[in-house]
Amino acid sequence: MSNPTAAFFRVEGTLIERSTLAAAAWLASNAQGLGERVARLGNVALAAPFSMLGLQSGASGTRLTWMGVRGMSEDRLTLLGEEYFEKYLKDDVLDVGKELVKQARKQNRRIVLISDNIELIVGPLAELLGADDLICNQLEMRKSKATGRLEDPVIGGNIAGQWARSFASEHGIDLGASWAYGACGADSLLLSAIGQPCAVNPDRTLRRLAKDHDWPVVEK
Amino acid sequence: MGTNGNGVKKNGMQKSGIRRNGAKNGAHAGIVVSADERGALEIRDAYRGKHLLVTGVTGFLGKVWMTMLLDHVEDVGRLTVVVRGKKGEDARARFDWIVESSPALRPLRAKYGSELWTIMAEKVDVLDARLVEPLCGLDPDAAAELMKDVDAVVHFAGLTDFEPDPRHAIDANIHGARHAADLAALSPSGRYVHVSTTFVAGLRNDEIPESIEVGVGPTGVVFDPEEELAALEAGLVGLDKKSDRVDFAMARGQALGWPNIYTYTKGLSEHLLEGREDVVTTTFRPAIVECAQNYPFVGWNEGINTSGPIIWLLGTSFQRFPAKASNHFDIVPVDTVSRAMMVVVAAALTDSARPVYQCASSHMNPFTYERAVDMSGIALRRIHRKSEDSWERNVLARLDSHCVEDVDREQVLGFRRMRLVARATRSFLREFDLSKNLSPKLYDRIDGERVDADLRSFSMKCRTADRKLGQVDEMLRQYRPFIWDLNYTFLTDHLAEEDERLSDEERVLFGFDVPAICWRHYWVNIQVPGLDLWSLPLLRGEKVPDDEPLPRPTSEPDLRQRTGEVPIVRPEDVGADGERVAVAG
Repeated sequence: MSNPTAAFFRVEGTLIERSTLAAAAWLASNAQGLGERVARLGNVALAAPFSMLGLQSGASGTRLTWMGVRGMSEDRLTLLGEEYFEKYLKDDVLDVGKELVKQARKQNRRIVLISDNIELIVGPLAELLGADDLICNQLEMRKSKATGRLEDPVIGGNIAGQWARSFASEHGIDLGASWAYGACGADSLLLSAIGQPCAVNPDRTLRRLAKDHDWPVVEK
Repeated sequence: MGTNGNGVKKNGMQKSGIRRNGAKNGAHAGIVVSADERGALEIRDAYRGKHLLVTGVTGFLGKVWMTMLLDHVEDVGRLTVVVRGKKGEDARARFDWIVESSPALRPLRAKYGSELWTIMAEKVDVLDARLVEPLCGLDPDAAAELMKDVDAVVHFAGLTDFEPDPRHAIDANIHGARHAADLAALSPSGRYVHVSTTFVAGLRNDEIPESIEVGVGPTGVVFDPEEELAALEAGLVGLDKKSDRVDFAMARGQALGWPNIYTYTKGLSEHLLEGREDVVTTTFRPAIVECAQNYPFVGWNEGINTSGPIIWLLGTSFQRFPAKASNHFDIVPVDTVSRAMMVVVAAALTDSARPVYQCASSHMNPFTYERAVDMSGIALRRIHRKSEDSWERNVLARLDSHCVEDVDREQVLGFRRMRLVARATRSFLREFDLSKNLSPKLYDRIDGERVDADLRSFSMKCRTADRKLGQVDEMLRQYRPFIWDLNYTFLTDHLAEEDERLSDEERVLFGFDVPAICWRHYWVNIQVPGLDLWSLPLLRGEKVPDDEPLPRPTSEPDLRQRTGEVPIVRPEDVGADGERVAVAG
């Protein structure tokens, strides 16, 4: 009997359009005090150049993004996460992403969502889509307040093929027969480690790579 | 024991820890029953066939408890509920209105429909009586007859205002309790369950045990409870102004270690009751009783309870709430309290109760002002976003309050300064006449009449602001001991112990569920929306809706006649002038 297969989805780009930076900025702009909001937004803004220059692919950009919520309570972040999901994610899942998830489920593949967002934001999304696994970042909490740090291992914009191989080995997944869906150049490491890669609404870098490697491209 | 002029004496009488058991008149005193020896507690068995006399069933907690009892313990014998007629309504009419329309009885109306009238007639007697009068206004023979088969008296009634007229507080919280206990003393068992408050702990800042040291105030001052009551009442005689009476009672209470009249009278009442040998008193002390988690339904609240004004304030443009962030905000949902009360009364009925039970959250699942204020902001903005008022929707929905504790309250909030500005502006505008200060030409050009009207309107707003600021300042002054000065941890080991005695099946219905409360869910999805629906309208001078009235079966008199409560009067029995001329049974 053959090993089970999985479908790996990079959340940002394939399932939702909103970036991690947008989520962090929204949380920061909903801090308790007005002055506090400005300061936190400034902090999140520091990570914007990484994002714009495409450097956010590394973990350092992701770490910087979440520094802006340092000191916010777990209560507030959880409740805001619920609101963010209701307001910006729940009804805005990309049709193409939904269709791909649906197909993967029909083909009995394990659905694995990968995101550099935090669990408080993408957790409800994973539940909505019925994902089997959610690989994302966790805010470190101390005395029920965010320290501004992420728990290790930090999931960056790029996720290495090594990670996919470890995951497959741990769960007995046939990586060669599995699928991976990504949307930007930083996802190429993941896509190239999986037997059946697919570019979804790819950016210019990934589109070029897809063409070079003859990966299928799905547009919305 | 020697005393000073204020009724303060040299030493006190310790009564704490273990319950006395069995019959009254001293036979029970000294019998010690350990937790291990008490065995299982079967709640339904304990109530089966029992006759309870209950006060305060028209109150928030009393109603929920009565509903829970009649809903979950169908075999209970009878309830005699002591109700006082009010606002032109007799006791029966007042009680029937509760049965008919109070949201607290929804589970019973849903379960029984119109049949509830029959259930109520079979199970509940309404006794029109006044707790402030000796034996609740009953003559001794009638009282003895009433109490001969009563198994326990459960006393919920009380006055919960922080600074009421002390005369009313004494009547409700001290004499009312004494008179209810006097009735209990006439019953064969002398069992008396007294609902007090955890805040009788007074001016202390530590762990509060489930015990009472008779004659020792919260700060360790030794006093004679009887002499203290006599001195308090004597001191109030001749004080014509309410404010003088309040000041006098506050000063006496604070000298013994109670921060306000409510805790003083409740505390004093506990001391007076514990000193009695003719009743077996079980004291139940809930903390701040708030919106229901589930029962009678999610979010139910009634009246303006402790957290209502706080949530109202947090929903305004005041963003700096003066509370110590780490202080416990000792909230307990009303159904949690009601479940606990079900257990405590059952323990009393089986003569296996502890003398004192505290029902609070600060011990096993503490909640703090910091969390409350933080989450209130989120909960309130969800409400404000749906408001039709553009100020609430566009401004308040974007503001969040937070606790401030680094500087003095006056400096933080600047209430006095803000009131001064409001008053000065109002005073200036009242005297200001635009037409006298502008040339007629300019006056006409700027549409002076309209500007005058605007200025008058603004002047009125300043007066309203001044009044509201005064109310808020007063409210915060009264709350200050609890949100700023004191940080209690009320121990709740006794309820946790009782929980162990319950069967798995009954624990689902009556177990002590404080440790399982998810404060985040409760506060945002239950408490704040519940207050918004049931309490905050009252603060704004609006009404809250009653339920659709429960249809009466045929006519109420017929029902009551069937049960023999009132004699049957037929049309033919009534004379031409309406006078009853004959009665058939």
